[in-house]
Order: sequence, then C-alpha cells, then structure tokens
Amino acid sequence: MDFVVIFFLVCGLVFFTGGAVGILRFPDFYSRLHPAGKLDTMGSLLMMGALSLYNLHHFTLGNMLTSLKIILIVAFVFLSSPTAIHGIVDAGMRAGLGPWTKGDRRR
Amino acid sequence: MKAAGLLIVILTGGLLIYATADFPPWAYPQSPASTHVSPRYIEKSIEETAVPNVVTAVLADYRGYDTMFETTVIFAAGVACFLLLRIRVEEGPEEQLFRHSLTGMTIRIKDGRKAPSDLEEFERIDAHWVPQDLIIKTVCRILIPFIQLFALYVIAFGHHSPGGGFQGGVILGASVIVLAMSHDLRSSLQRMGEKVNALLCAAGVLIYAGTGALCLAMGENFLDYGILAPLFRCDPVMARSNGIFMVEIGVGIAVMATMIRIYNNVSSAGRYDEGL
Repeated sequence: MDFVVIFFLVCGLVFFTGGAVGILRFPDFYSRLHPAGKLDTMGSLLMMGALSLYNLHHFTLGNMLTSLKIILIVAFVFLSSPTAIHGIVDAGMRAGLGPWTKGDRRR
Repeated sequence: MKAAGLLIVILTGGLLIYATADFPPWAYPQSPASTHVSPRYIEKSIEETAVPNVVTAVLADYRGYDTMFETTVIFAAGVACFLLLRIRVEEGPEEQLFRHSLTGMTIRIKDGRKAPSDLEEFERIDAHWVPQDLIIKTVCRILIPFIQLFALYVIAFGHHSPGGGFQGGVILGASVIVLAMSHDLRSSLQRMGEKVNALLCAAGVLIYAGTGALCLAMGENFLDYGILAPLFRCDPVMARSNGIFMVEIGVGIAVMATMIRIYNNVSSAGRYDEGL
C-alpha cells in the first residue's frame, strides 16, 4: 500500500514540476496556459488520489468519508480547472492576441 | 470648499493616528480585550449557546447587533450600486435581434414593431453579441447544483466549522453569477429577476431584524434568542443556537442577493442586457 502511495505521490510531483517549469519557460500566453491547465490538473489528481489512499490506512467509516471528500475535490478540480483555462484562452483569442510563432521574441 | 474638505480629512486622520498611541501593544496579554472578554467567550460560549464554533457564537449572538448592521451595510451597498448604475433603456424604434437557438439563424425586427410572443425557440441577442461556448456552458451546468449544495452546507454548518451566512451567501451568489457568465445575463435574469432579487435582498435583512424584534416582543432584549425557546420547543440554550441559525439564514439571503445585484449592474453597465 505504501509503495503505491509513494509511486503516485512521486508521479504527481513530476507532473507538478513539469507544469512549473513549463509556466516559467514557455514563450507566450497560450503555451504557458497549456501546462497550467493540463499538468497541474494531472498532478493534483495523482497527489490527491495518493493522499486519499494513504488516509485509508486504518479502515474506518470516518476515514472512508474523508477519502471520499478528497476524491470529490479531485473530481471538481478535474472538471473546473481545464474549463477555466479554456475560457482564458478563448478570451485571449477574442481580445486579438495572436499565437507565438518560431523566431518571435518571448512575450 | 475642496480645501476645507481636505483640511477636515487630514485633521481626522491625524487625530486617529494620534489615538493609536493609546492602543495596547500587539498581542498584549493584559489588554482589556484579553483579560475579561475573550476568556469568557471561550469558556462559556458552549454552555450558553450550544454552538461549538466560538466565532459564530460571538458573531451572531453576543455581538448580534453589530452583525445586524453589517448586513444592513451590505444591503445599502447593493442599493447604492443599483441607484448609481441602473439606467432606463428606451425600447425605442431601434431594431431587435433574435437568434434561433438550434440553427443559429438570426432574425431582425425593425422600426419598433412588436416581436411575436411565441418566439420560444428564439433568444434575444444584442448587436455586439458575444458567442457562447459549449464547453463552458456544459461544465457550468454540471457544477452549479454542487456549488449551491455546498453553499447551503456552509450556511447550515457554520455552527460547527468555519462558515456561516456571509460565506455561504457569497458562494450561493457566485453560483448564479457563474450562470450569468457562462450563458448570458438574460438567462440568469430569467431565473432570478430584478424584482425577486430586490425582494430577497430586503427579506434577508428583515429576517435578521425580525428575529430580534420577535425577541423584543416576547419580553426580552433585542436579539436575545433564549426567550424564543417555546417557539422552537426546546430549552433556552438550544433556542439560542436555533436563533443564531435563523439569523444566519437572513444574512445568507441578503448577501446572495446583493452579490448578484452588484454583478448584474456592473457587468451590463446598468442596462441589464446581455452582460459580459
């Protein structure tokens, strides 16, 4: 059980690190939103899943309820975070910001 | 006149800054607040009000008067926003645009002719119409019931955990604002119109003040919920807990309606058309 939890935590950490590096290093608005929307969602999904699993070490009804709540958080983050990023990208397009192409300056 | 105003502001500010010198030092254990008031709240609130969350007990019971006027301030903010921003739009001889929601076809009704009333599959749009996004619409439709459920939980659970009327009311208002943002202001106004909103806003404050007045009518001090025990059919301690709950419901309704009203007025610049 512990190994599974550690595996998921490390995986989540890898995704979060990738997301953070991507937000810092990518050249423009749209490409920076890409890791912010995808990798952070995946990272939080894995880490929260690991935590809810770890919480079930002593299997009681109370622990079960807490795990269920964590799973609910995961579900709502999974729904809302990519949608928010989608809305932001849409607003950027509508405001007239063009995408970055190779050779442009970093923005 | 301006100079006199500036002088008054500077004088008052200076006076206030001068008065801060008399404050007890930061986190001073012998300050009056920490010697009499706080220990009493911490030790006695659960015996006297049966509310485990001390903050809620202080907010809605011991200092209920204060919170009542906080609610009134929120109400006043909503009314002020309405008075400043709301404008009357003449439905004049300009044209009206309608869009068929299935095919996307648009029709235009010119010269102030009345639109037929059976335009059920058509929705009214503006000239500077912003396309709606299917993804955002769908996700918001899925999420809004959960947001509202959570808001009710926060209002009802303020006795035991962080939460209460203000927080729950804000979440409840946010759920309607999310609807207005993901669809448009017209579809949110269909669900909660301007009149309903204004009535709810006033009803929240009325519930709060009415609970206080009820205590007064039954022969106790204003907002002293213990006397309401016969109404709730329980002992006076539990009655205080229930009284706090009633008050929290009033706060929640008032805050929700005010949030929605401020959003409606600001986002459509007082015209109540399509909004953002």
